[in-house]
Amino acid sequence: MGRWLLRRLAAAALIVWLVATATFFAAALAPGDITLRLADTRVSPSIREQWRRTFDLDQPLLTRYLRWMAGAARGDLSTSWTTYRPVATMIAEALPNTVLLAGAGLLLELLGGVAIALHQARRPFGTGDRILTFATLLAFAMPTFWVALLLVEVFAFRLPLFPPSHMRSPAGEMAVGWQRMADLAYHSVLPVLAIGITGVGAIARYLRGSLLDERAQGYVLAARGRGCSPRRALRVHALPNALLPLITILGLSLPFLVSGSLVIEVVFSWPGMGQLVYSAALARDLPTLLGGTVVVAVAVVAGNLLADLAYALADPRIRLGDAA
Amino acid sequence: MTKTLYQVPIVDPIEFFLMVRLTHNLLTLAFIAAALSCGNEQPITPVASGLGPRQGGQVVVAISSDLSTFNEYQWAPEAAEFEVLDLLFPSLMIEQPDFALRPPSFGERLATSWEFSPDNRQLTFHLRSGARWSDGVPVTAEDVAFTFSVQKDPQLGAIGLEFKEFITGVEVLDPLTVRFTFSHVYPYQLMDANDGHIIPAHVWGAVPRAEWRTTDFSQLLVTCGPYRLAAHTRGQTIILARDPAWWGHPRPYLDHLVFRVIPDVASQVNQLLSGHVDVVRVVPPRDADRVRANAELELIEFPSRDWGYLGWNNARPPFDDRRVRRAMSLAINRKAAVDSVFMGHARVAQGPILSSMWAFNRNLPILGHDPEAARTLLAEAGWGDSNGDGVLDRGGKKLEFDILYPATNAIRRDLAQLISADLARVGVRARPLPVEAATFLARQERGEFTAMLAAWTEATRIELSSVWASRSAGQGSYNFISYSNPEVDRLIAGARLEADHARAKLLLDRIQELIVLDQPVTFLYERNELVGLSRRIRGANINAAGLFFNVQDWYWEP
Repeated sequence: MGRWLLRRLAAAALIVWLVATATFFAAALAPGDITLRLADTRVSPSIREQWRRTFDLDQPLLTRYLRWMAGAARGDLSTSWTTYRPVATMIAEALPNTVLLAGAGLLLELLGGVAIALHQARRPFGTGDRILTFATLLAFAMPTFWVALLLVEVFAFRLPLFPPSHMRSPAGEMAVGWQRMADLAYHSVLPVLAIGITGVGAIARYLRGSLLDERAQGYVLAARGRGCSPRRALRVHALPNALLPLITILGLSLPFLVSGSLVIEVVFSWPGMGQLVYSAALARDLPTLLGGTVVVAVAVVAGNLLADLAYALADPRIRLGDAA
Repeated sequence: MTKTLYQVPIVDPIEFFLMVRLTHNLLTLAFIAAALSCGNEQPITPVASGLGPRQGGQVVVAISSDLSTFNEYQWAPEAAEFEVLDLLFPSLMIEQPDFALRPPSFGERLATSWEFSPDNRQLTFHLRSGARWSDGVPVTAEDVAFTFSVQKDPQLGAIGLEFKEFITGVEVLDPLTVRFTFSHVYPYQLMDANDGHIIPAHVWGAVPRAEWRTTDFSQLLVTCGPYRLAAHTRGQTIILARDPAWWGHPRPYLDHLVFRVIPDVASQVNQLLSGHVDVVRVVPPRDADRVRANAELELIEFPSRDWGYLGWNNARPPFDDRRVRRAMSLAINRKAAVDSVFMGHARVAQGPILSSMWAFNRNLPILGHDPEAARTLLAEAGWGDSNGDGVLDRGGKKLEFDILYPATNAIRRDLAQLISADLARVGVRARPLPVEAATFLARQERGEFTAMLAAWTEATRIELSSVWASRSAGQGSYNFISYSNPEVDRLIAGARLEADHARAKLLLDRIQELIVLDQPVTFLYERNELVGLSRRIRGANINAAGLFFNVQDWYWEP
């Protein structure tokens, strides 16, 4: 187990390094750089060179790469070319916003998915099941941005129940304490719903299938034979085993917690990681783009690693390591 | 807004929204068909009673992106950012929107009066006494001199540097008097002296210039304006509060200005319609009717300083021949294309000077839509359809080329398609070619194109040399189309130094005639500015001089 973990950690570091390197060179070799913004203005060529020196763009690509890597290894993700602030600070500001939004969205889709699947598995192929199957398939098939726009249109504009965008109202920005929290919660409703609705379908579909599989297993039938109610057999006996594959889904969802949903963040003007990386890419703000990519890459490998570990803990049939 | 002074080719600014819209387009259209509920939740606390302006309230303004910096000399902020900075930092004077009649005049701001020396080489400003930075320190001539040293610092390379080219020095005569010295006399001395906001010497002067570009100036924010920063959440909201220490006290009337970052312009318009925001700076032409139809909203329309053109590479065949360039302009139904793409919110551009400017030549010969004349000109130039395939040729070469444009720009995409169809009717094969924005800029700059769709934002000064004068080696020029006419060069040089604007007008009229005759580009459109705002905001005078030109006079209807 220890050696397995070490090997996985080494592989994870390698993957992060590869992603960072590939992003660096891909972004650096793309046509145009940050000084293209200066092409818009009538500055003399000497001033443009001055700008390039400030951002090390006059250095050979390899030197720039090594400098950036050396900084990144120390945790210094360099300074943004568009806001002149440390990239690490910008990420530290954006990350909690994304974790909050994506976390609440994930929780909603998980709880909703389990509830729907349990309901469906009680009377499979009945009318209720068919309706829910249709509804979850529909939810699964709808594009996130469309759901988001629909929610805004209906619940912010037609029925002005919720704010159409932003994390806080102007008054909320100035408020403190629980009023500030309440304002944030109020503004979270629509974006969280948008994430939850589109995610709930996948979880419900997945779980319904595995619940039906488990229900036919001997241990569930045995429980029923011992006089266990159908409801209890499903919830207490079948559900824990049916949930196992969800570990993988959750592991794969961890990067989403960090990268955020670009579409949701743009539609709802939510200042998270998705927006940060996207606007950095548009502006050719290489340090911010790289910093964001590295953080997301770390989340991807960490998510996979955690999922594997969680599997081993949850399912005694799985043993990690060389002997397996 | 003082920073409309430089010419900027528009690549991204013609609307980031257009790109986002490519995806959201159809859906948004479907959604917004019906009337939307309105309800303005601005808390208004009337102080005075009776008619007339009242104190209090807040106006919510939608912006597409957050401020990138509070220090405009750190880098190159976008035009919209200057409108916010204009509320926080003083300029010496404020440019008046009277450029339709004469070169713009100036009103007092930090300076209450100014005068030229008898030889016009020196300009002395008398500053307002009692102007204070937000930390209580008085604003003095030292701040003006410090700002000038920053603007001129080659190490910083601030974008306004070229406006200070002919200012040789700024001298502090006493704390409230400062003197600018110019290398020579020319028409835009006031404008150049005024360009850029005054920044606090006592705080920002302590930052070493070498660290200037990587300093977070929001940590060192000291302001002087009708408003000061009350709260700032990055990427979300900027809240400005009335500065009681401002010299215009008790104005402004509005307690707060709230800027909400809404990246998607379609969302901005929806929030304007629903009353969540009160002002949208750039209403897309296609949304204009919805805003106008809303009883709660007002749509303000005025000529912008943006114009677009189809640039021909004058150094390359076939467009090194004036007859061919003129034929293209005659073959394109410019009016139909512009009306359709801008839905009536633009007019056909006729020449190198905006038709809203005092210097525009109202007697320019207008090139109409005349495909027959185009065919004749092309035949004169030797182009005929020898093999009957519908495409003109000469010496075995077909008359075909690409029209280059930035891929994310939907306006230019639409224009390219309409132009291509018009040209096909006279036997010219013009293929629209979208390229990535950075590639577009690079190819434009290097002259690697035959035809391209581009645009400029014009200053309120008449500055023809950087775009229309012959390209001289090693000099920063924006004559990407390689236009060269010695007569035009001579006249431009003369007009630049002519301080008497009536005499300058004669030269400028002739330049416009010559350029229109040469058609180095096909002039396409002059876009209108469309600003949407709540009807209940009173006193606002929104014009080409800026959204917040008279923000101190804005108030909520009682």
